[in-house]
Amino acid sequence: MEMQDSRIIAAPRETVFEGILKPEMLRACIPGAEDVTGSAEDGFEAVVVQKVGPVKARFKGAVTIEDVLPGTSLRLVGEGKGGAAGFARGAATVTLADHPEGTELTYAVDAKVGGKIAQLGSRIIDGFARKMADQFFERFKTELEGARPVAPSLED
Amino acid sequence: MPDDLIRFTLNGRRIAVPSTRGHLGDLLRHELGETGTHIGCEHGVCGACNVVMDGRVTRSCLTLAVQVDGAEIETIEHAGNDRCGAALQDAFVARNAFQCGYCTPGMIMTARELLSENAAPGRAEIRDAISGNLCRCTGYQAIVEAISDAAEALRETADD
Amino acid sequence: MTELANSGIGAPLPREGARRLAEGRGRYVDDITLPGLLHIAFVRAPFAHGRLLGIETDDALEVPGVVAVIDGRRLAEICAPFDTNPPGVPGHASAPQPPLVVDESCFQGEAVAAVVAESRAAAEDGAELVFLDWDELPAVCSIEDAQAEDAAPVHTRFSDNLSLRHRFGAEDVSEAFHGAAHVVEADFSFGRQTGVTLEPRGIVAHWDPRTEELEVWQSHQVPWQMREVYARQLGLSPQSVRVTAPDVGGAFGLKLHAYADELAAVAVSRLLGRPVKYIVDRLESFTADAHAREARASCRMAVDAEGHILGIDAVVDAGFGAYAMHPRGSFGEAMQAAQMIGAPYRVGAFRAEVRGWRQNKAPSGAYRGVGQPIACAITEEMIDLASRAADIDPAEMRRINYRRTLDEGTRATQAGLVVEELSLDACLDKLLEAMDYTALRSEQAALRAKGIYRGIGLASFVELTGVGAGLYGPLGLTVAANEACRLTLQPDGSLTCATSVTDQGQGTLSAIAQLIAGEFGIAPEGVRMVAGDTGRTPYGGGAWASRGMALGGEAAKRACARLRDGLLELAAGILQCEPEALRFEQGEIIGPKGASGLDLAELAALCHYRPYDSPTGQVPPMTVEESFVPAALPYIASNGVHAVHLEVDPELGTVDLLGYWVVDDCGTVVNPLLVDEQLRGGIVQGIGAALYEECLYSEDGQFTNGTLADYVVPMAGEMPDIFVEHVSTPTRATGLGARGVGEAGTVGGLGAVRTALGDALVPTGARVSQQPFTPGRVLAAIMAAEDAE
Repeated sequence: MEMQDSRIIAAPRETVFEGILKPEMLRACIPGAEDVTGSAEDGFEAVVVQKVGPVKARFKGAVTIEDVLPGTSLRLVGEGKGGAAGFARGAATVTLADHPEGTELTYAVDAKVGGKIAQLGSRIIDGFARKMADQFFERFKTELEGARPVAPSLED
Repeated sequence: MPDDLIRFTLNGRRIAVPSTRGHLGDLLRHELGETGTHIGCEHGVCGACNVVMDGRVTRSCLTLAVQVDGAEIETIEHAGNDRCGAALQDAFVARNAFQCGYCTPGMIMTARELLSENAAPGRAEIRDAISGNLCRCTGYQAIVEAISDAAEALRETADD
Repeated sequence: MTELANSGIGAPLPREGARRLAEGRGRYVDDITLPGLLHIAFVRAPFAHGRLLGIETDDALEVPGVVAVIDGRRLAEICAPFDTNPPGVPGHASAPQPPLVVDESCFQGEAVAAVVAESRAAAEDGAELVFLDWDELPAVCSIEDAQAEDAAPVHTRFSDNLSLRHRFGAEDVSEAFHGAAHVVEADFSFGRQTGVTLEPRGIVAHWDPRTEELEVWQSHQVPWQMREVYARQLGLSPQSVRVTAPDVGGAFGLKLHAYADELAAVAVSRLLGRPVKYIVDRLESFTADAHAREARASCRMAVDAEGHILGIDAVVDAGFGAYAMHPRGSFGEAMQAAQMIGAPYRVGAFRAEVRGWRQNKAPSGAYRGVGQPIACAITEEMIDLASRAADIDPAEMRRINYRRTLDEGTRATQAGLVVEELSLDACLDKLLEAMDYTALRSEQAALRAKGIYRGIGLASFVELTGVGAGLYGPLGLTVAANEACRLTLQPDGSLTCATSVTDQGQGTLSAIAQLIAGEFGIAPEGVRMVAGDTGRTPYGGGAWASRGMALGGEAAKRACARLRDGLLELAAGILQCEPEALRFEQGEIIGPKGASGLDLAELAALCHYRPYDSPTGQVPPMTVEESFVPAALPYIASNGVHAVHLEVDPELGTVDLLGYWVVDDCGTVVNPLLVDEQLRGGIVQGIGAALYEECLYSEDGQFTNGTLADYVVPMAGEMPDIFVEHVSTPTRATGLGARGVGEAGTVGGLGAVRTALGDALVPTGARVSQQPFTPGRVLAAIMAAEDAE
């Protein structure tokens, strides 16, 4: 599946770009990340726990950063191997542009799953992948803007 | 540790079992030995695992074991204890309304609920009522006729 | 007396033992438990094609309750891979299939590692923590992709993907097409299906090192076959293996095969010396059960001006999946799909070429009807196309072309079929009357004028039932084709019938009991049936190719005759008369002077306890065994005609079934209550094939609709009532005269819906070539026809 979205982040473009390359940022932003090690140059290793419909999966994955245009764009490529659940792999092309309120981060994600999680049907998978990407970039924005995640108000 | 027990009523008996993270179907079958309830899909589509929980037909594969704490559960093993369940079982046998028998317990639980609410359902109403129960063997016609026969038998003996 | 008259052949008796199931007292394989039982969860291949580089098991082994994680290399030390290349099928090629992937996996869902634990939940927890390291290899999924010149191989041991090539009939049929008044031509696409037994496959295996015996309980159709398979794969003596099939929750051919995961479960028990249970869950059943039916075909038919068929020329390409199913292979469906084209008709020149293609998908195997539904659907649509070309009513078109071998005697068709004693004319007559064909046609014409599109479809079929040793014997496959009955008169005068026939709900055992009871004039309750257990039954086939009554019933009838003859001879000695003057009634011997006072119980007591009271000092055997396999014929053909009435919504593309009729000839009907339900159940599976069911794979071989919510099967709300009637032509091949009936509904169901849909769409000019006929495909065909105008 493919999807696209954008976020306005209240931080300068350089800060945003550098943020993406930090392992602690990945750890904080990848939903369900248990452990992230490595570096932008050599690639990251990650362990991620996620539940897709009725299938709970622990993925052991590698994240690499490709096509780096400093300050402008890069590609995050990830592949996770889950035991009985199957596999998930995806790539996000991230493009940064100046914006009156900081930086506009645009991401285009192409995700693919296989095995038991694919079997559950695209109805669940598409929503799941969208949620993962949204959560990732929302957390990234929050982390960079230095604010704690806002607790949902009672009115919500 | 009372908190670690699930207490409920099963087919009129009071039950207390150690808490388990499984679903009700597995609890009934593997912990309590009531194997009449069958597991067909474990995602709530086939109806083979239907039981009655607090008076309503419920998918036991979609019900966590801990959810039945304090509830009243009835399974196929007990369904023949009332007129309606017994009439259905008689009619299913007489009409050969099943082959492998794997869907039958769930089917009878569903049919019993239908007849408790509608004493004289039409064929279309019966088909509609059992449309959440998969039978791979019969083609359904015999099931529809058996439920219809059971309803008629129940009406005829209603005043006895 | 009335009761007695109703207890023999032809009585619609309720099934013996059915009440047990209605009260939830069935005993299916998952209901069986043993002390020390371990449970297996499999880790399965996530790719359609991959090379396994490594398995990480450390985390899994730390899960409380996990006993072992066993991989393909470990099992390979004690268990041979399936080698499914029958020597008698030239050119057949299939890769060996190990119980667990050793290095190359060829379909998504292939079992890779077995996590063994004290509970299923612990095994599943462990399975989540087994990490597989793979190299993904290119996958080939559609038949077209498999055929491509530069196609990647489905298995790297082969350079291409062709698994089978065969031709039936003449090399060249072009002569028949030259100068024919009409030549019609069509392409067909048949969707991949799976059997969806409501009870998934399951097995309990116990290798007991104390007795050095392997005991297996398995949800299966053919326990004797499985005894041979497990013994062979594990290097055991067949005599040390016992296989029992308890109550089985639907089988439909799906449970005819030996599966790699089930073999792995047996091998794990052998390895650990502990009993193990493996129950397939629904998600696994979609990806790892046998699939069926996927095929593409093209067919040409030539007819003369009067509508007589002059020739058929067909090509069938079948999708075999990654491996040939063990032990019978995957070629049966493809072969029957080609060979059975045109079977009910005199077709003139005949040629049908068949090719089977490997794909990176689940292996395909037997499913109710095995190829015959495909052949029937092709044939019947071709007949309809030809009838339109020749402007002849479709019913009439069929009638003028029917084979009438009852008059012509037994002989092989050009396709190599031996079909005899057909009754298609009589079936069609009864059918047209039951449905009021003429009235439906007038109504159809009137409604068409109002833009309402109704269709009337007919499908005639010939089906090969009670298949004998001629099928697998020459291929070199060790599959028993006989059915046997061991009949015992117990000391208390009751009868026990141990039969090789198995019953997954068809009611065959009940019908055999009814038959035996009729032979002795007793109630069926007086006959105890024993089946599905290699430890207690005589050797034989089980349940495949509609054989239960046709062959197993015949064996029982012959056993009854032998037991009865011995008892009557003994009684004749006691009563001082000729045995011919005696008969059984209500279990009692009736002689020239009426009731003799001798009954089954008295004779049994004499034979077992007081043999010295026999006038000759000799007593007849209390147990007799008969085995039957058709010898004069390769199989017992049955036939019938289906009809469908439906309406198509041209705006939505939906198909509404308005009526369904079938007239079937399965020879002697022992119990019509059971026979009619076999037909109805089979028909609904045919309707499922026609309208709903399809295993959908992504281009790279991911099964994308593998849940019961996504793979749509017929539910009660959409199914029509089905009218069933019979013509009875007892086969001369047996004394009983029964022909098979279990698959007849499925064989004709798809074709009847197909022809009805084609008929409904005539005013639109549309034709739907791809089955199932989903609303999307129907709409697309209608729109394509509009564009073409």
